Amino acid sequence: MSILEGRRVLLVEDESLVAMLVEDMLLDLSCEVVVAMRLDQALRQLQAGDFDVAVLDVNLGETRSYPVADQLFERCIPFLFATGYGSAGLEPAYRTVPVMQKPYQKDQLEAQLRHLLTCEPVSRGSDSGTRVFTCGCALNSKDSGVAQIRAD
Amino acid sequence: MSLPTLRRGSQLHETERRLNAVLNNASVAIFLMDDRQHCVYMNRAAELLTGFSVGEVLARDCPLHDIVHHTYPDGRPFPLEECAIDRAFPENNQERGEEVFVHKDGHFYPVGFTASPIRDDAAKIIGTIIEVRDITEEKAAAERQKLLTNELNHRVKNTLATVQSIATQTFRNVADQPARAVFDARVTALSNAHNVLTESNWESASLVGVVERAIAPHAVAETDGTRFRITGPDTRLHPKVAVTLAMALHELMTNAAKYGALSVPEGRVAVTWTLTSDGSRDHLSLTWTETGGPDVVPPARKGFGSRLIERQLPLEFDGRAVLDLAPAGLVCRLDIPLTALGWHGQDIVTGRSAS
Repeated sequence: MSILEGRRVLLVEDESLVAMLVEDMLLDLSCEVVVAMRLDQALRQLQAGDFDVAVLDVNLGETRSYPVADQLFERCIPFLFATGYGSAGLEPAYRTVPVMQKPYQKDQLEAQLRHLLTCEPVSRGSDSGTRVFTCGCALNSKDSGVAQIRAD
Repeated sequence: MSLPTLRRGSQLHETERRLNAVLNNASVAIFLMDDRQHCVYMNRAAELLTGFSVGEVLARDCPLHDIVHHTYPDGRPFPLEECAIDRAFPENNQERGEEVFVHKDGHFYPVGFTASPIRDDAAKIIGTIIEVRDITEEKAAAERQKLLTNELNHRVKNTLATVQSIATQTFRNVADQPARAVFDARVTALSNAHNVLTESNWESASLVGVVERAIAPHAVAETDGTRFRITGPDTRLHPKVAVTLAMALHELMTNAAKYGALSVPEGRVAVTWTLTSDGSRDHLSLTWTETGGPDVVPPARKGFGSRLIERQLPLEFDGRAVLDLAPAGLVCRLDIPLTALGWHGQDIVTGRSAS
């Protein structure tokens, strides 16, 4: 059984056709997917339910998904950003968050999600060697304050 | 000299000092012209702009036009009578526009000008005041913008064509050719939606344009002009709404041609819409109605089209979408809020730390 099976994933992506593609990839990985295409929807979904992991498109129309990231940090839910611009396109406070380069690829998505859930090192293929994320949500949190641990 | 006269003299001196301070520190070039179009005063910015000093201009004793505006950029002589700036004087009103001046060193530079007549106490026009600004930078920026937009248009089209080609090469030997045709038609629909955006510099798209383009591939093959009825007021759509709506209409159209009203000669399709406003935002209510087609049989499995329309469209725009597979003919109702040119995610949550 895959570690991804049955995991609840919050997918935030503002392009309809792209959202459908990634939703299918996640479903193929046996995840349970909740799709939000707008910032307000994403925040509502976060308030309404619990998630194991999240995939955030950075640009949502004229706004950014950072408020969602802040909530995820606070709740210690691991997540990654998906963007066509790489980590250079992120605001400095969020540069420690793993970034998946768009367009989405299933293998890459699977490897990164697996890593987020297990903290195992991820090989970045043809990139300059292997990059190991120093993860664990407390370490990644942009706030140096106390990271809250969920009771459940 | 009496004391009041002396005081008035010093007041005049003070006023002149202040006026000179204003004029010589202004970044816009200012020329004062007499009734013969000779320049009788120019500020420091005007000297910098033209390359001529006040002394040089006064010594030439000719219309200012003959000093700074005497030649068209193509080299033809530019007579005073053809000059728009000059018209502010004889035609008695303020004149604005853009012209190309000639610098003392011979190079041409684009300027924006405002020419206003000056009157004496009897309201008789005695001269013109001309403000002139070098607009080389603005012109260059507009030119760069145009180049970038052209490049963007070009790249988007080419990328879509490349995707199409990759698909063709990749699936050349695959038996499923109908799937290829469906794919090609979808990429073409996407490309057509982008055409509508290109025409307006990616700012917005015409709703009528989006509907017409979505229907065009099918409409051109039709000899019967009554098969399509399109009614509704035009409006501007946000690019995101335009693209998704175009894709949704394409799916409806394809379905109608395959299984619905357009699969038989007597079938009809009506696309009608209204725009309503509740004060803060406009709503687009669009209905796609098929009549005269074969009995509608709900598909065994929901496909791409119904998923796009029923799920994605409401999610993307916070609207509603209903696909009614009535036996008499498919009806699709879309209700999309159009605030801020269609995309309104940004006006709901703007704070970074929403609780």
